[in-house]
Amino acid sequence: MKTRTIAFTLNGEPREVVVRPNDLLLNVIRDHELLTGTKYGCGIGECGTCTVQVDGKPVLSCLTLAVAADGCQVVTIEGLAEGGRLDPVQEAFLDHAAVQCGFCTPGMIMTSRSLLDEIPQPTEEEVREYLRGCLCRCTGYASIVRAVLSVAEKGA
Amino acid sequence: MSGEPGMGEKTSSHEHHAVGRVVRRKDGLAKVTGAEQFAHDIDLPRMWYGRVIRSPHAHARILSVDTAEAEAMGAVCLTYADVPKLKYNERIVSTPPFLYRDRQVLADKARHVGEAFAAVAAPTEALAEKAVRALKVKYEPLQTITSVEDAMRPGADPIHDTVRLEDAEIPIENNVAVRRNVEVGDIEAGFAESEFIIEREYSTQPIYHAQMETKAVTCRPEPDGGITVWPCTQSIHNTRQLLGEIYEIPLHKINVKKIAMGGSFGSSIQMNSVIPICVGLALKSRHPVKLVTTREEDIHDHVRYPTNIRLKLGLKKDGTPVAGHMHAVVEIGAHNIQAFPFLGGLAGFWASLYRLPHMKYEGIAIYTNKTPTCAMQGFGAPQVTFAVESLMDEIAHELGVDPVEYKLRHYIGLGGTFWGQGPAVKSIIRSDGVSELLRIGAERIGWKDRHAPGSQTGRYRRGIGMARGFHTSGVGHPKATGAEMIDYSGAIVKINEDGSVDVAQSLADHGGGTLEAIAKIVAEELGVPIDMVGMSPVDTRTSIYDVTTHATRGVYAGGAAAHKAARTAKGILLDYAGRVLDVLPDSLVVEPEPQLGQGVIYCPNLPERRITVGELAKLCQLNSWGTISAVESVRQVNCPPAYVIYYVEVEVDTDTGNVKTCRAALGSDCGTVVNPDLAAGQLIGGLSKGSGYALIEEARWDPETGELLNRGFWVDGKTPAMGEMPPLEDIHTFFSDTYEPSGPFGAKGLGEASSNPCAGAYANALYNALGVRFYQLPVTPEKVLAALAREDAA
Repeated sequence: MKTRTIAFTLNGEPREVVVRPNDLLLNVIRDHELLTGTKYGCGIGECGTCTVQVDGKPVLSCLTLAVAADGCQVVTIEGLAEGGRLDPVQEAFLDHAAVQCGFCTPGMIMTSRSLLDEIPQPTEEEVREYLRGCLCRCTGYASIVRAVLSVAEKGA
Repeated sequence: MSGEPGMGEKTSSHEHHAVGRVVRRKDGLAKVTGAEQFAHDIDLPRMWYGRVIRSPHAHARILSVDTAEAEAMGAVCLTYADVPKLKYNERIVSTPPFLYRDRQVLADKARHVGEAFAAVAAPTEALAEKAVRALKVKYEPLQTITSVEDAMRPGADPIHDTVRLEDAEIPIENNVAVRRNVEVGDIEAGFAESEFIIEREYSTQPIYHAQMETKAVTCRPEPDGGITVWPCTQSIHNTRQLLGEIYEIPLHKINVKKIAMGGSFGSSIQMNSVIPICVGLALKSRHPVKLVTTREEDIHDHVRYPTNIRLKLGLKKDGTPVAGHMHAVVEIGAHNIQAFPFLGGLAGFWASLYRLPHMKYEGIAIYTNKTPTCAMQGFGAPQVTFAVESLMDEIAHELGVDPVEYKLRHYIGLGGTFWGQGPAVKSIIRSDGVSELLRIGAERIGWKDRHAPGSQTGRYRRGIGMARGFHTSGVGHPKATGAEMIDYSGAIVKINEDGSVDVAQSLADHGGGTLEAIAKIVAEELGVPIDMVGMSPVDTRTSIYDVTTHATRGVYAGGAAAHKAARTAKGILLDYAGRVLDVLPDSLVVEPEPQLGQGVIYCPNLPERRITVGELAKLCQLNSWGTISAVESVRQVNCPPAYVIYYVEVEVDTDTGNVKTCRAALGSDCGTVVNPDLAAGQLIGGLSKGSGYALIEEARWDPETGELLNRGFWVDGKTPAMGEMPPLEDIHTFFSDTYEPSGPFGAKGLGEASSNPCAGAYANALYNALGVRFYQLPVTPEKVLAALAREDAA
């Protein structure tokens, strides 16, 4: 199979990776870059746990070909805390007990970050609508909604 | 002790510096930054990748697997011929006389679509996938059995000819895996004494656990012939013992590592099917091998027990239950993972809901060619609670009494006997917050203002329903021998030279905060700040046995072991402190000193005699007195009920049949609340999962082919998402003011209880909204519309 070299920034650092045309962004992030915070949950875009940001937009990395990230800025959960300082969304997830088993957490946090970037002051309904593609089997979602709204309240 | 006899006093949380405090969970930082390692995330040098081949047939003999082509690609293959033939049961919680063994690492027969029967390992995942597709298999398809009726029909193909029980192979007749009957009192006399009789049939469906992490494992063969394993599991020690038995490796050469679990809900009590396969691949290839299942594979591997319950109750005219007869038919699918204790659990939970002087229970578990069933949050309680809570609501309405009052009159509470999990696990109830919870919940939901059943006529109709229930807290009981189930935990507590504390416990945290609670219990007992207690990463070589984190036993039973180890360590600490300070140890106390950030030992009568925990531990080291530490194993001798009550309000769209959850009031009696925020989260998580069970989730198979029809979360299945939950202000959680005398700092369980009454509450809310009873779960829009059409026709 033909390979191709793609260049992108990953959590702010430039990367060049040789990929096959059918390599998924999820697998490049996890297996090549060894950033295992981004999770495989379903492989068909149903659960949201593989969500990363590509050029600031939330993207399901299990449905995105790696070549599509060529020239893009990719941010994963590992890149959210800048200079060791947690993102306000991460802080809020800790303060509101929005983390249980933690497997959906990276995708949930990345999607929440995108939501707040797009809609800095969302209503509860908007939060529930934006995050409806992220599944969590533990929390019943309430603590997650509360965490996201608390970030908006603080204007972070 | 105060109040009613046996009712422990409430030790209010303000007296505690750790227990009951809301703090950021210790594993939270790793989880919000992506640093937490789950089984999917293990990566080792020279690691290969494993894949398994799964049967497309529901029932077929595997005549041959030609591996030549796969091997020519460089893959190592594992077939029936390569693996030990020992039959085992993957859940060694039950003791040997009650352990029905029908599994093999790889079998020469497939018993459900998706059953693994061969595997490959290769240097890359892509090559492994190619190799597994290159396996050439000859099948001899057998009769596909997809219903209990077909399974028991004379002449039906046996799914298992025999299974192993202790050292004997016992025959399986008519595909009946196991039966279990329980009788209390005199059922004939009981019905004779009854003044009216009501009989109903309830059916509950199989559902997929839908834990976010698919089952995965990585194994590394060691130079000494041993193996190191990073699995998804609720019990590292049971996984180790099973692997030792299957592969005949001494236990000290098997090291099973505890890593974070991405949800389980019961599906990893047993050693997951891919674990021994991956061990086989690693031993054969002499490479570390990682085997991660796809979501579709995982869905084929485990579901909750579907249960059909026929329940006949004899009552006095005033509604007092006198006699009950229950038939439970459980379709267990292709393997008997834990049907015997499950049948016992159904009986025990039934016996513990309402006082019933005479009862007869007949349970039967049947094999079919479907996905194997196993425990899922509640282990029989969701099924039986749905039936009983629906029936009690129905009786209350027949009698014209308030269901809350009716249930309060007859439920088993303080001083009653609770069957923790089947007839062999019983203890006296010593804490009971039911009436308090029902009162608070009724106020929060507006119980008194609800509509009369069936009184509404518009398109949208609202209804409020209530159900109560519980789960056990562990399966402890007082008998010394002959237990059906193992139930003990171990803990190691060690005080470090700076006053911090390491706790090593093989207990698994499902995410609900069990280990957080353990840290608080240890901090509380030792008198050190909670942030000075660390939960150590452990493996089977460095930790002591813990049966498994199931049966809502983490805080109650695991916490008791940690508490005892902390008490023992504290005794040693105070002995040394007494010597150093020249006071009697009994005169000393330890308390956290916020300014120093650690615990301080001092004598209240001679306050100048003081030393920090760290100074003392360091002194012990410098003087070669030894490390202040303790190792303890504990089995609880009680199994207190963790009561939960549910009030839900639903809105039914009578045009579409859709049922929306509008409001919920969820109350828990978990004794002392150790993690208030996480405990509330467990209740709300219970509502989400429980509403899925009540309304939308159902695993279905093609009756002809045995093909699983739901292979996703949404596309052809349904899992509750954020949109299904009520708004924040309409979800109420609350806790009773109770104290469990036998629990660590008064705590008992919560986890599984959080969804057990849920389906019953929904069924009762639907009755309130529509005046129609639903006896079959899930109550889908199709069933709602069909019921409304029947009503219209009538």
